[in-house]
Formats: sequence, structure tokens, C-alpha cells
Amino acid sequence: MSFRRPSLYLLCGLLLLGCAGIISAQEQSPRALAENVRQALFDAQGALLSGDTQTAADAAAEAQSDFESLRPIIADADAALADQLADYLNTAQTAASEGNVLALANIRGHIWSGLLHGSALVVFDALEAGDAATAESWLTLRDYRPSTRFSRPGADATLAVSGLRAGETAREDALAAVTADLYDTYQTQLNMALNDADAASARQFTMRRAEETGLAAGYFNLLAAAYAEQRGTESHDEAVSAFEALGNAALANDDAAYNAARAEIDRMLTGFRAAPLSDDEAARRAGQLLRFIALVPIEYERGVRNGEVVNDIEIQEALTFREGAAAAFSDLQGALLSIDAETTTRVGEALTQVEEQIREVAEPADLQATVAAIQSDLTALLPAEWQESNAASDVDVIYSVLDTLEGAARQGEYAAAESSRLEAYALLEMGMEQRLRGFAPELAARVESLFWQGYEGQDGLATLLGTHAPVDQVLAGIGALRAALADSQEVLGAGSAPGAIIGNAAIIVFREGLEAVLILASLLASLRTIEERKFRRPIIMGAALALVATLITWVIAHSLLQIMLPLGEKLEVIVSLIAIGVLLLITNWFFHKVYWTGWMANFHQRKKRLIGGIAVITISQSLGLITLGFTSIYREGFETVLFLQSLVLDAGLWTVIQGVLLGSVGVAIVGFITFSLQVRLPYKKMLIVTGVMIGVVLVTMVGHTTQAMQSVGWMPVTPIPGLQIPYWMGQWFGLYSTVQGIGLQVFAAAFVIGSYFLAERQQKVKRVNARKMATTASQKA
Amino acid sequence: MLKQRLLGIFAAGLLITSAVVPAPAQNTEAADLSAIKAYLLGKTVDLTEATAELETIAARYYEIAEEAGFDYEALAENPEAAELLLAAREAWIIASPTYEQMEGIVAGVPTLADYDVTLDAGASGAEDPVEGVTYNLELPDGRVFERPGNLFGVTEATLWSTIADYSSGVWVDLDGNGEEDFAELLPDAAMLLVGTQTLNAVAEELAASAEAWEPTESDAFTALVVMVPTMSEYFGSWKESRFVAGDDATRTDFVAISRLADIQDILGGLQVVYQSVSPLVAAESADFDSAISDGLVDLHAYVADLYTQEQDGRVFTAEEADFFGSEAQDRADTITGQIAQAAALLEIELAE
Repeated sequence: MSFRRPSLYLLCGLLLLGCAGIISAQEQSPRALAENVRQALFDAQGALLSGDTQTAADAAAEAQSDFESLRPIIADADAALADQLADYLNTAQTAASEGNVLALANIRGHIWSGLLHGSALVVFDALEAGDAATAESWLTLRDYRPSTRFSRPGADATLAVSGLRAGETAREDALAAVTADLYDTYQTQLNMALNDADAASARQFTMRRAEETGLAAGYFNLLAAAYAEQRGTESHDEAVSAFEALGNAALANDDAAYNAARAEIDRMLTGFRAAPLSDDEAARRAGQLLRFIALVPIEYERGVRNGEVVNDIEIQEALTFREGAAAAFSDLQGALLSIDAETTTRVGEALTQVEEQIREVAEPADLQATVAAIQSDLTALLPAEWQESNAASDVDVIYSVLDTLEGAARQGEYAAAESSRLEAYALLEMGMEQRLRGFAPELAARVESLFWQGYEGQDGLATLLGTHAPVDQVLAGIGALRAALADSQEVLGAGSAPGAIIGNAAIIVFREGLEAVLILASLLASLRTIEERKFRRPIIMGAALALVATLITWVIAHSLLQIMLPLGEKLEVIVSLIAIGVLLLITNWFFHKVYWTGWMANFHQRKKRLIGGIAVITISQSLGLITLGFTSIYREGFETVLFLQSLVLDAGLWTVIQGVLLGSVGVAIVGFITFSLQVRLPYKKMLIVTGVMIGVVLVTMVGHTTQAMQSVGWMPVTPIPGLQIPYWMGQWFGLYSTVQGIGLQVFAAAFVIGSYFLAERQQKVKRVNARKMATTASQKA
Repeated sequence: MLKQRLLGIFAAGLLITSAVVPAPAQNTEAADLSAIKAYLLGKTVDLTEATAELETIAARYYEIAEEAGFDYEALAENPEAAELLLAAREAWIIASPTYEQMEGIVAGVPTLADYDVTLDAGASGAEDPVEGVTYNLELPDGRVFERPGNLFGVTEATLWSTIADYSSGVWVDLDGNGEEDFAELLPDAAMLLVGTQTLNAVAEELAASAEAWEPTESDAFTALVVMVPTMSEYFGSWKESRFVAGDDATRTDFVAISRLADIQDILGGLQVVYQSVSPLVAAESADFDSAISDGLVDLHAYVADLYTQEQDGRVFTAEEADFFGSEAQDRADTITGQIAQAAALLEIELAE
């Protein structure tokens, strides 16, 4: 006993210590643990620079120890990768002990990129399992795209995981967004590592070169699965060998072998894009490519006279536009190679030739010929939908020209600034202005005025440049124009006003709910006698089931939409067309009293058949009555769900839910008054009022859908000259000053009103016929 | 009974609808940005005091040069000239770090960024025709220096005579050791006068603009994502400065103060900015907040350690400067990425 008790205490103590150790390790995030590994290896490298191998070895051992906390979770995602990382750390230990600076630098690159690889795999696994917490925690262990003057690091992955945690993003969508973000980032890092290795090589910084080659190999491994998928296993193996050769060349300090391996890697990576662009992004890049390349000869011609550069700024602009075109082409190259490799290669070569021609001060006609050939090839090569007008790329290009304008203005080069102004205005005219005139004529006028004479107290750029206004005033003019363009971009990509969506959703829910209440009230009211009252219960059960079924239908419809989200704006158009169909049915049926009375009569006939005067309720009767209750309510629910999906796509789930709740409150009140207080409301008037409101919703939706179809290029845009419709009317009622939008809205309104008169006429004819028949019968009698 | 059931159905429908759809999280908390403005205004006061002092000294130097008929050989014989030169350098060494301590804010906020180009960051028109400085220096003797580069660079090159056109070329034994050491030349009095006058005038304009500036959350986050990742530029200029390259230095500026000191000053200012928005980030993501806060502290400590080593006499080789610079850049890129993630989660727009 005296032996056992201290042992027990010792055991407890050890357990507590162990737990404390585990808790301590768990308290540190994966990012913090990986940073410890990285820092320890950096310290080891720093120590080796000072020739201190002992400190270097100690630091490398510390890195090994820190890695052990990460290893099990990485091993769960990829055991081979975890083992490989452990081997790398052993190699680092050896290199540090032996004072091998190059080997330590190279393996440090491998280890860091390997840790990022492990983190990415853990995140992917967690997302597949729907484990947002693990994904969120491990996603912090990552590299980001470097921030530049023109772009900031993206946050797609972070937002997607945050959306998944909040239940706003589907698991598959989160995984797709995270994969695209991480692949895109690591492809950028791969390119940067290769460029940095080249720069280090040129300066004979052998340690940096060794480290960057290790990083590059690791980044490629991270993307290797995508590479193998796109290029095949054989190419993948060749690429891996090329990266190995590059690392070996750096370790051996062999410049010739390094250059050979680099050339091979460049060849193998040409056109490779780990995270393929979405259709929208591809269209945007294609738009940039076409617009930027078109501007190159225009700028160049202005800067050259008789084989000599007469205006540096114009030449610089030509080079800038060429670089922009080349960057856009690079993003599209992978996709284009699969369409037509020969033409794609030719375009790539011609883009390089354009740069050479500019630098060699070639004849403008020669440069123009090269660009014309590129344009011709691109017209044949780019898919038609990528070549359609795209507001995003239009604005990108206009912004870049405004940057040039700003530079020229700062230097007091008013003539050059004026030239840029005209160029930016031409781009506006060529692209987005037509749609802007149609969708937001006030904004179109504001943008145009800011290019020319001015708007609401702000002088326009033409005035400012023409009067050689001080630079700060010109900059203010540019700022105002940028703001107007940003607003334009927002308007062209915007949907309806949230208030309008809430109102529309509430109207539909209230209207359909009202119908459900009336059907239910009518069925139940007809079961008045004590014997008949027992038939009420199954009908109510059916109605309750219909409510549940409606919610399930909602979840299914919403999930289907999430799957189809990659269709983007086109999905919105398709679903809006379905919703319009639903609305047309509702309005048409409403005005045809035949619908309403016939529909009600149908329920009553079914009810009569089911209860048929039998005093004792049977199982089959119960089932029949449940079905009756279910079908009478579910049809309304189904229509509502279908319709609301288009609103969800337009304004998001939460906005629509607010409308649904508002409409549901209205239905609940009507239900309470009908069933609980048993007060008879003016149902006919309510049906008429809600019917008219639905007519307004229909016309609004037709306007928005027409705008959406015009946005995706499925319908032309023909502005109505002189018709100025305030932008808020577009947002609230779908009213835009285009022939197509107004025309279809008038048609929809005519259809609804026409169907009303048609129904009235049918009723009249029926009444007349009935009267005639009655007269004939009485005469006969 | 029936009524209750029917009511129950409606209530259940409403409840289910409310329960299955989570309300979106909304960030209603706003950051207290007053500390950023107070910090900036404090620094602009310190800066204008230092640049005014510098201008006064330069004016006196010009006066005695004029009295000597701009005969610098004669001026070198006047002990006041050396005293004034040393005093001017001392004032410059106070003014420059004062600006660096606020550069993170000035350069990172779009409405103030032009001051950074003119004061401290802009290249000359010859080096960068598109984005270089836009002002010219017109000297009393009629000489005009068109778009000469940023004012701290110009005044530094004048005071330490690293650009021949800004110097008299006449030796003055500043340390009294009887040897012609680096930068022991009398500056061109007209250049020094106009350079310091312009510097002081722009510093005062900046102070006025800072007074009018109302910081926004977008300003704070934009300043951070613009300025934190500029480490490679600073390490690049350090590598090319006399502190690393010695007499082979290709730069005419950064001779008085090591760029490592500047980097610390800039990071110090950025830490002030982040502290103001830190509670906002912590409320959204404690992990990002600790990563960013710790990252900035570690980066500052990392640079401080290098600076201490340099002050203790370590002369870094170009390859070592590259090695330490790339590490700093990697850390800065990570912090910047984390700040961008936090801004996105908070739905704060970053200016382009």
C-alpha cells in the first residue's frame, strides 16, 4: 500500500503534466506552431552565417520538436507528406550540424512549403467533412498573394469558410472557393520563388537561390495534383524531375545546370493554371486582353516620328498596355491552348514581338500589322461569350487610362492628359455607356459630364485640362469621375432594392397564404355537423404536412440553386423566367373566376366522395382526407417556393426571409381571425387587392429579368432617347429606359389586364347564355 | 381544440421558418480612431518644429555665405559655418525620423499620400518621369532644379554633399582631425536655403491637411496593407546605402541614418494604427488579431535586433542584407494577408 500510493501520485502527476503539455500544444494555433518551425530554421540559418554550427544544430532540433505537434494532423491528411516533412527536418539537422549553408537554405524552403501543403490538405479534408472550425483554424497557416500598388490580397477562402461556419455557404462552394484561392496564391508564390531564384542567381547570392529553389519545388508539389490532372502523369513526373534538377543545381552551385533546369521548368509551366478561371473571370480577362492590345498601336503612334521617340510617356503607355494584355493572355493561356494550341502559341509569340517592336522603335505600321494579326487570331480563338461587352473589364481599362491621365496631369503635361481623357472616353463609348444609358441614364449623364463640361459644381476634365487648371483641381476631377465610374459598375451589377424584394416576397407569401387559409376554411366550414367534425382532423393533419413539405421543398430548391450557382447571372435569368411563369399563372387564374370557383368546387367534390355519408371514418378515408388537406395547401406552398428562389438569387437569403416573415405574419393574422375569432373578412376584396399587387410584382419582375438578360448578352440594349427614369425606379419597379424593358413590361401588363377582360367577357357570355337558356326554358314551359 | 391546432400550425410554420434561417451577423461596433489622428498631429507638430529650426539655421548659413560673397574657401575659414552645418545636420536628424514615425499613416492614406511622395518617397523626374515628384527648386541665383526628388533626400544630399551640384566642393574639417573624411564639404548655401524652406513649407501643409483629415476604418486598414508590405523596398535601399555597401554605395541618400532605424520608426507608427482597430478585429476573429498584433511586434523586434547589431559595429554583407530583407518581406507579406482577411471579414473596403 505504501508503495502503491506514491506510484499513484506519480502517475497522476505524470498524467497532469502530459495533459498540460497537450493543452499547451493545442493552445497554439497551427499557424503559430508552423511559425515556430520556420523561426527556428531561420535562426539556424542565421547562426550558420556566423559560423556557429552548435547554435544552428540546436535551432534545427527545436524545429524538429515543434513539428511533432503538427505531424499527427498532417499525417491524417497525408501520411506520406508528414513522413517527408520529418525527413526534411532530419536533413536540416544534418545540414546545420555540418555547417552546410546551401543545404540548410534549400531544405528550409522545402519545409516551409511542405507545411503549407500539409495545411492545405487538412483544410480540404475538413471542408469535405463540413468541419468549418478545423478548416478555419488551419487556414490561417497559409501564404497570401503579395499586396501591390494595384491589388490587395484576396480573402475568398477566408470568407467562404466564414460563410460555411455561419451556414450561409454550401460545403461544396466553400471547398471550391478555398481551392481556387489557395491554388491561385501558391501559383503566384511559385512564380515569385522562381523569379527570386533567378534574381539571386544573377547576383551570385547562392544561399538565397538554394532557398528559393526549395520553395519553388514545394509550391509545385502543392499544385502537382492539378498539374497531373491537366497535363497527365508523364508530364507531371517530368516537371517534378525538372524541379529536382533545379534544386540540385543550386546545391552544387552549377549555373549551367541551373539555367537548363529553369528553361525546362518554364517550358513545362507555360499555360498551366492550377485554379482555372470561372467563365465570368475568363470573360473579364478576355475583355481586358482585347481592349489593352487595341490601345497599344494608338499610344505608340503618338510617341514616334520618323523612327525616333518624340514622347516618352506615350511609349511608356504603349508598353503598359502591352504588359496588361500579356498578363490577361497569360491567365487565359491554359484554357486557350486546349482550344487551339497553334493559334494560342502564335498569339503568345506575337505579344512578345510587340514588345520587341516598341523597344526597337519599329515603324508604327509594322506594329499595327502585328497587333492586327493578334486581334484576328483572338477573334477566331476566344469563345464568343468571352468577347461580349463586359462592364468589369471596361472599367478596368478606363481606370488604367485614368492612371496615365493622372500621371500626365501631375507633370503639367496637359496635352498628354487630354489625349488620355479622349482615350478613356472612347473606351466608355465603345463599351458600357450604352447599357448605362438604358439602366441608369442619370448616372450616364453624370459620367459623361465629368468627362466634359462638369457636373453639379465639379468641373469636368475637358474644362480642367483645356484651362490648364492646377493639378489638385484636375486630380479632384479625376476623383469625381472615378467615383461615378465605381457607382456605374455597381449599378450595372446591382439587383433590386432590398425593400422591394422584401415587399415582393411578403406580397407573394401573403397572397398564397390567404388562398390556403380560404381553401382550408371553406373545407372545414362545410363539415359542420357533429358527425362530420371528425373528418376535420385528417384534413388539418394534411395541411400541417403540407407546411412541412413546403419547407423541405424550399431546402431542396435552395440546394439545387447552390449547385447551379456557377452559372452566375444566367441562372438568375433562368430562375426569373420560371418565376414569371408562376406569376402569369397566378394572375391569369385569379382573373378567371373559373379557376377559383372551379378549384374550390374540385376540393369539395373530392371531399364529398371521400366522406360519402359514412358515419365511421376508415383508414382509407383518413388517408384520402389527409391527401386532400395536403394537396390543397401544398400547391400554394410549392408556387411560393418556386417564385421566391429568383428573389433569393437577386438579393440574398436573408432579405427574402424578412419578406417571408412579414407575409407569414399577415397570413397568421388572417388565419387567427378566420379560425379563432370566426369573423368573416372581405375575402373577395382581399383577393382582388392582392391580385393587383401581384400584377405589379409581375411587371417589376419582367423589368428586372429583361435587365438581367441584357446584362448577360441574351438581349440587346436599345435606350429610349429622351426618357429619363430615376435610378430608384429601376431598383424598386424594374423600370429602365430601354425599348426591350419597357416593351416587355407593357406586354406583361397588357397580358394581365387582357386576361381580366377576357375573363369578364367569358362570364358575361356565360351569364347571357344562361339568361337565354332560362328564357327559352320558361317559354317552353 | 380545432382553433388551437390551426393556430399551432401557423405558429409552428413561423417558428420553423425563423429557426432554420440564421440571421446574418452584423458588425455594429466602430473602432475608436482618435488615437491615430492624435498620434499624427503630435508628429506633425514635432516635424514642423524641426523643419522650422532647420530652415532658420539654413537661412543664417546663407546669410554668412552671402556676406562672404559666396566664396566658400573664405566661408570655410569662418568657424560659424562649420557650427551651422553641424547644427543643421542635427536638426535634420531630428526631422527625418519624426517623419518616418508617421510615414506609415501619411503614405498609406490616399488623401495624404501625395505628401509622402514630395517629402520622403518620390524619385526625381529623371528617374521616374511618370510618378516622380512634381515640384521644382528655383534658387535665388536663378538656377532651377527640376523635379529633383523628395525633399528629405535633397536636403540630406545637400547637408552631406553626396550630390556634387548641391555642394560647394570646399572641404571643412568638421571633426578637427585634419583629414578629408566623408561628407566634410560645405553645402551650397542657396540650395540648402531653398531646400529647407520648401521642406518646412510642405511639412506645414501636411500639418494642415492632417488637421482636416478624419480617419476612417478604411483609411486605417488601407494604410496597413499599403505600408506593411514595403519592407523589401526599405531593405533594398539599406542594401544599397553606405551602411551596407560602404564607399561602393550607389545611393546619395540614407547616409545620415540607417534605413533600419527608419523601418523601426515606420513600423512603430503602423503599430499605433493597428492598435486602434485591434478591438474590431478581435471581436471578429481573435486568431487573426493575435496573429497580426504578434506579427507586428515580432517584425519590429526583428528589425530592432538587426539595427542593434549594426550599431554595435556589425557590417552586413549585401547577401546577408538580402537574406534578412527577404525574411522581413515574407513576414510582412503574411501580416498584410492577415490584415486583408480581417478587413474582408469586417466588410471594410480597402482603397485601391
